Amino acid sequence: MSRLQGPSSHKRKQPEPNSASGSLTEHERILYHVIKSKQNMGIWTRDMKWETKLPDYVVVKSLKSLQAKKLIKEVVNVQNKGRKHYIAAEFEPSKEITGGTWYAGGNLDTEFINFLQKHCVKIIYEQKVATLEGILDTIRRSRAFNVEFTPQQIEEIVNALVLDNEITEVESNGMGEFDSIPVGTVCYMCTNKGGRKGEPKIGAMASIPCGVCPQISLCTPDGIISPQTCVHFTKWLDF
Amino acid sequence: MVTQYGIKLGVHLMTNQFGNIVAKVCESLLRRGPLTLQLIVRFTELTPQQVKSSLLILIQHNCVQAFSLEQQDGLEDGPKANTQYLALFNNILHRMRFSKFLKIVSSEFDECKELLEGLLQHGRLTLKQMVEREREKSSKKDGNCEDIVQENLLKLLAARYVERCPIHEPVLATPVKDETTAKRRGAKSSKRNEESETIEQRVLGAAAPMDAQRFSIITNTGSNVSRETSVGEKRKYDALELDRESAVEEEEVVLLRANFEEFMCRLRHKACIENVRTRLDDGASIVLRAMLEAVRSLEKRVKTEKSVPLSLNTIFEEVMNSEEGRGMTLDRVRASLVQLGCSSSARGTDESYSIDLKKIVELAQNDEVESIVLKRYGRNAYKMFRLLSKTGCLVETEKISDTTFVEKKEAPKMLFKLWSDGYLHMEKITVAAARQSQFLLWKVNKPSLQEHVLDEMFHAALNLSKRVAYEREKEKELINLPADKQVMSREERHKRRRNVAFVLESSLRELDDAVMLFHDFEEPSLLKA
Ligand code: SF4
Repeated sequence: MSRLQGPSSHKRKQPEPNSASGSLTEHERILYHVIKSKQNMGIWTRDMKWETKLPDYVVVKSLKSLQAKKLIKEVVNVQNKGRKHYIAAEFEPSKEITGGTWYAGGNLDTEFINFLQKHCVKIIYEQKVATLEGILDTIRRSRAFNVEFTPQQIEEIVNALVLDNEITEVESNGMGEFDSIPVGTVCYMCTNKGGRKGEPKIGAMASIPCGVCPQISLCTPDGIISPQTCVHFTKWLDF
Repeated sequence: MVTQYGIKLGVHLMTNQFGNIVAKVCESLLRRGPLTLQLIVRFTELTPQQVKSSLLILIQHNCVQAFSLEQQDGLEDGPKANTQYLALFNNILHRMRFSKFLKIVSSEFDECKELLEGLLQHGRLTLKQMVEREREKSSKKDGNCEDIVQENLLKLLAARYVERCPIHEPVLATPVKDETTAKRRGAKSSKRNEESETIEQRVLGAAAPMDAQRFSIITNTGSNVSRETSVGEKRKYDALELDRESAVEEEEVVLLRANFEEFMCRLRHKACIENVRTRLDDGASIVLRAMLEAVRSLEKRVKTEKSVPLSLNTIFEEVMNSEEGRGMTLDRVRASLVQLGCSSSARGTDESYSIDLKKIVELAQNDEVESIVLKRYGRNAYKMFRLLSKTGCLVETEKISDTTFVEKKEAPKMLFKLWSDGYLHMEKITVAAARQSQFLLWKVNKPSLQEHVLDEMFHAALNLSKRVAYEREKEKELINLPADKQVMSREERHKRRRNVAFVLESSLRELDDAVMLFHDFEEPSLLKA
């Protein structure tokens, strides 16, 4: 929840003064050089070994000492969390490594995303018809977040809500509810859930056991799995 | 689209209604395409007599159409040798829908329900047979019966719910390529499917009675005076010609049957109206209903291929005519039209609107598939599926997980599952240079997805239907158990049986609505509004 209350954890750190690099061993210097050359992408330990041709134990030892001297830091690579990944201390890891705004410590920051999404849905619900700028503007004025969002970030959140079928994308026609919005502007409205709260209407197929059955491709009228012997049916028809 | 499970379901329906032998004949036609009598005998290993009587039953019930090919090589083969039989898959499926057809008619002309019931039950009837049926049922005087039947029949003909039967054995002009070779239908290849559909379309086209004849009966009322009744008004000439023709054809017997096409059209409209009601709101559905009504009454006068653009005034008038629509203002109607995505084109001073039913059907199909994905695979799969369905092109795994906020580890697993179950299409791309050398791209392939979902629906319908039969068997066994072995009291058993039957049958009915959405509502003949 750090981004909701406390100061942004994503503030760029000032590069460390390079004073410590004078006292490096030969191996440490080679290794540091390689890591630094990778800039904000950092490098995986196995690749370091391959590039520097240094033996394993030397690399491990040097990494430790470089870390102690605050010249490098370990980062979590979202692509592969098991791999040890290092980056020079003066760089912030790139989006490819961290996963971008929506990631924290290598994990998708679902708590943060959910909170922001709920907030957006609330805004759209209150405004009935909302544009992207409208949503962004409301968020900025509400001061609920300590982070400045870019329009692109809000768009990402809103798009995901559309995919979730929480909201629907509509184009303004300049009439009725849209009269203050220029014709053709993309707007968002809360999805009409067909009366039932929360969930969209369940289709005919999805309402019966076979429609949601993972074994449907194995099920045959006279086979081992069959409608006559099916446990899902028996449970369904247990009156 | 005739899929594997579609055939199985069709055969199951035939077995239930006409027994094993008829079903066997029907199955060989469904699987292999049109066949001659000899070939059916060979493939089914039934006696010629068995096959013949099965074919008669199937033709009587509009499940098979005979046709022959024009001989070109001049060989003096008897025409019979060349007769082929074509199974009509759609009509076979329609047998599940008879209760829906009856409901439509009873809501419009309640008095005609029994007439239609007779036609559905017997497949084809002559006017005389209908009168006889009526006479058996009621103890009314003869003359009276005839009048009632005729009157009701005219209503059904005018509404196009009843039509003349097609020609018994039309002759196709040029031999269709590949005709006699055994053709497997329901194979994955859609190309083959298309081909066989062309044969079906050609045969049905050749067999269909002329438009003018289709909804008319010529009745010889005792004194050799021909009375001609028709829905069209523009054909005074034809009528004369026709009369002469029919006189020559030794007073041909007019066979009538239910016109499934019209019923499907009605059901399609109903489905669209319902879909709009849940997706948008009551107002939009009222407007859509009014538009379809207006088109229908226009259609009766002018035969139109495409939906007629309606003027705002016509629509408004029709809305005002309906009870639910009386409270709507012109502005409200206009807003609903916009909601419906109706394209308005200004012609002169009048705005006119036309409806894109195809689009509504498409949206309803999407809803159905998405709800399967949601219930079977969960919310993350639902989001990813919707993304792919919306973009309609190949998207890379990473991009999918970024856009939908699904964990990078979870996304590929789920996508893979959807792919292996036939819901997604996948492509691998190998990049030689980069470290991460392989990328997976995913896509919703609409045509193959639709075929897959339809096949699963046929499968599910078959399962429901099989379970209905199984429950009945079980019930019989339970009844026959000695009293001391009974686990349930009579009332309990009775109640359970009723609940089970209700759930299974209503599910089957609703599932069939979904089947129609994917199978029937895209038929070219229904694409007009
Ligand atoms: S009958 Fe049972 S096992 Fe077969 S598809 Fe349906 S739910 Fe699954």
